[in-house]
Amino acid sequence: MSVRRGSRLFTLALVAACASACGGRVDHASRLSFSGSALGPEAEVLRGQLARFDEAHPDVRVELRVTPDAADQRHQLYVQWLTGRASEPDVLQLDVIWTAEFAAAGWILPLEAFGPDVEDFFTAAAEAARWEGRLVAIPWFVDVGLLYWRTDLMDAAPRSLAALREAARGSIEAGATRLGLVWQGARYEGLITVFLEHLAAFGGGILDAEGRVIVDEPPALRALTFMRDAVSGGGFVPSSALTWQEEQVRFAFQNGDAAFMRNWPYAWTLLQDAARSRVAGRVSVAPLPAADDGRPAAALGGAQLAVNAHSANPSLAWELVAFLTAPEQMLERARLAGQLPPRRSLYETRALEEALPIPIAQVREVIDVAVPRPVTPVYSELSEILQVRVHRALTGQQAPEAALRDAAREMRELLARSGL
Amino acid sequence: MPDPMTRPARAEARLGWLLVSPALGLILLVSLGPILATTWEALHGHDLRLPWLGRPFIGLANFVEAAGDPRFLAALARTVAFAAVSVPIELALGLALALVMHATVRGRALVRVAALLPWAIPTVVAALIWRFIFDAQAGILTASLRDLGAIDAAFDWLVHPVAAWVPIIGADVWKTTPFVAILLLAGLQTIDPALDEAARIDGAGAVRRFATITLPLVGPALVVAAAFRTLDALRLFDLAYVLTGGGPGTATEPLSLYAFIALMQRLRFGYGSALSVTVFLLTFACALIWVRALGRLDRYAAPNEDSGPVAGPHSGPSKGI
Repeated sequence: MSVRRGSRLFTLALVAACASACGGRVDHASRLSFSGSALGPEAEVLRGQLARFDEAHPDVRVELRVTPDAADQRHQLYVQWLTGRASEPDVLQLDVIWTAEFAAAGWILPLEAFGPDVEDFFTAAAEAARWEGRLVAIPWFVDVGLLYWRTDLMDAAPRSLAALREAARGSIEAGATRLGLVWQGARYEGLITVFLEHLAAFGGGILDAEGRVIVDEPPALRALTFMRDAVSGGGFVPSSALTWQEEQVRFAFQNGDAAFMRNWPYAWTLLQDAARSRVAGRVSVAPLPAADDGRPAAALGGAQLAVNAHSANPSLAWELVAFLTAPEQMLERARLAGQLPPRRSLYETRALEEALPIPIAQVREVIDVAVPRPVTPVYSELSEILQVRVHRALTGQQAPEAALRDAAREMRELLARSGL
Repeated sequence: MPDPMTRPARAEARLGWLLVSPALGLILLVSLGPILATTWEALHGHDLRLPWLGRPFIGLANFVEAAGDPRFLAALARTVAFAAVSVPIELALGLALALVMHATVRGRALVRVAALLPWAIPTVVAALIWRFIFDAQAGILTASLRDLGAIDAAFDWLVHPVAAWVPIIGADVWKTTPFVAILLLAGLQTIDPALDEAARIDGAGAVRRFATITLPLVGPALVVAAAFRTLDALRLFDLAYVLTGGGPGTATEPLSLYAFIALMQRLRFGYGSALSVTVFLLTFACALIWVRALGRLDRYAAPNEDSGPVAGPHSGPSKGI
């Protein structure tokens, strides 16, 4: 009897819960969900902006779905949701290197129908938001690889890779710093951004414009050999850097141990904090200089916003994207989170100059030479192949030539297998 | 034509099955289910990044690919080598520790707690501790060795393809020796002290008594410990993941880590499942070998059981005395 009563109660509760839930959806606001990184100042900016969107749209409620901060984990989660054809989250924050993958899988909507205006965006950022000629995402903020250099040790940034090498070696020999240059050398995505910058500096690349693998060609070999020599005995990059990611690299530079550092813009504010940093006020930034046959370059990173292909309310989702990528919101993000806006016109304004902690002219120079990573649905796999081979070459387990030959072979096999 | 004599018994049996069926179902669901699902997935070409290729049934193609995948074969060899190096060290140290604990009269509890501490620390935390010890910039060990002039100033354990194994094996030995010791201690405690006493009266020295009495009688416990440790070693994952990430290159990448990368990073569910199934088959085969070894040892040890209460911790109630 008590069992029967219990089950009746349970049914009642179920009905009540359903009624309130369903009623809630029909009677009150339409719901929209957004997922992205919301850590520290980023979270503050985002919550504030979503609240303003709610205010401007009284019939809409945006729900923030916090996802893991580690990019790999967020990617896994997205893939699980989207392969399951989930209609939520409606709007997704994508790392630039995922956009092609999600578009090719049909998980995000082409955006032309909504009449977006992307004239104002930096070319490299807009390129990374396209797949097969169609615009599938809107750039939200950009990240670029910067060469940080010490203004107390030299008068100007080195103009060539050879000059960088000499300056770094000189600094070690003169005893000014224990280390020359530090960069992200652990076996992870960061290593590929560093490699990409060296590739461009030597006039090479990973894939060409037609999507063919060119990472085993002479410029790439020169780039990898340069990096290998830099970390070998008597070089100017410490071999420990081969286990370092962004933060370890920053610690070394911040403690005054290195003359140069390759890192992202986030490090700027932290380096200027005199309470924690020994190099506050003695730092400037430039792009990684070119070798004789290449051009100065910076790897392009950052995030884009896209609309879930299975969203229940795509036009409303687009409105949220348009709102978040509008100039005012980008300015606020730049001021509070230090993230660079991808809109060219903002760099002409005093507002951005005041908002950004990092000198705008120096940053602008780097963004102008930014290169995107290969735009392909199998980017992560290509990158993983390269990470292993490049790391093997840098740790002396394989000659650069053999490493690149193997990498290129594996990459071609992958492209053939994936039907691209 | 049911036999009237057995009808109640049969009904009881049926009831019995009925009562255990939820538990059995649950066991099937949580243990056999995933294994079967993974095996089925391993027979398909399924790449989450390439949904336009679908999920075709491709038979054993994934396993054939693995057999020709140098990274997989290298990981397999590495994993087996890791087990072959780390398990004997753990058994030797564990036996020594067990003998000490067994012989300790004063502060027994304290000694045991102290010995067990590393085992109680989560593997990921242990791995981080060892990473700090071996850190090239601030690591205690690296700095001391550098001060002594034993290693080069630029030497970094985690960048060297062979040296990177030292912290991994070190952490594994440090963490699991207590486990082995406790298992062996249980074995030691089942040995009748009278045997040792008798041998002593007959004039046998300590080494002789250890070799002819202690070692054979603790044998079954030793095999159990070896079995547990081998299976764990073949599934090595978290130490390598945290300490080296499998690097430099893939020099410290064990089988499970490669399977994880294929599954969760590359999102090749078919191929990754095939690799996981291979890990499972490997450990399963290894478990069978150990079980047989244990059976043989039991038969060999059986006569001893007549002469005293020396049954190891493995001996089930089915063994007649």
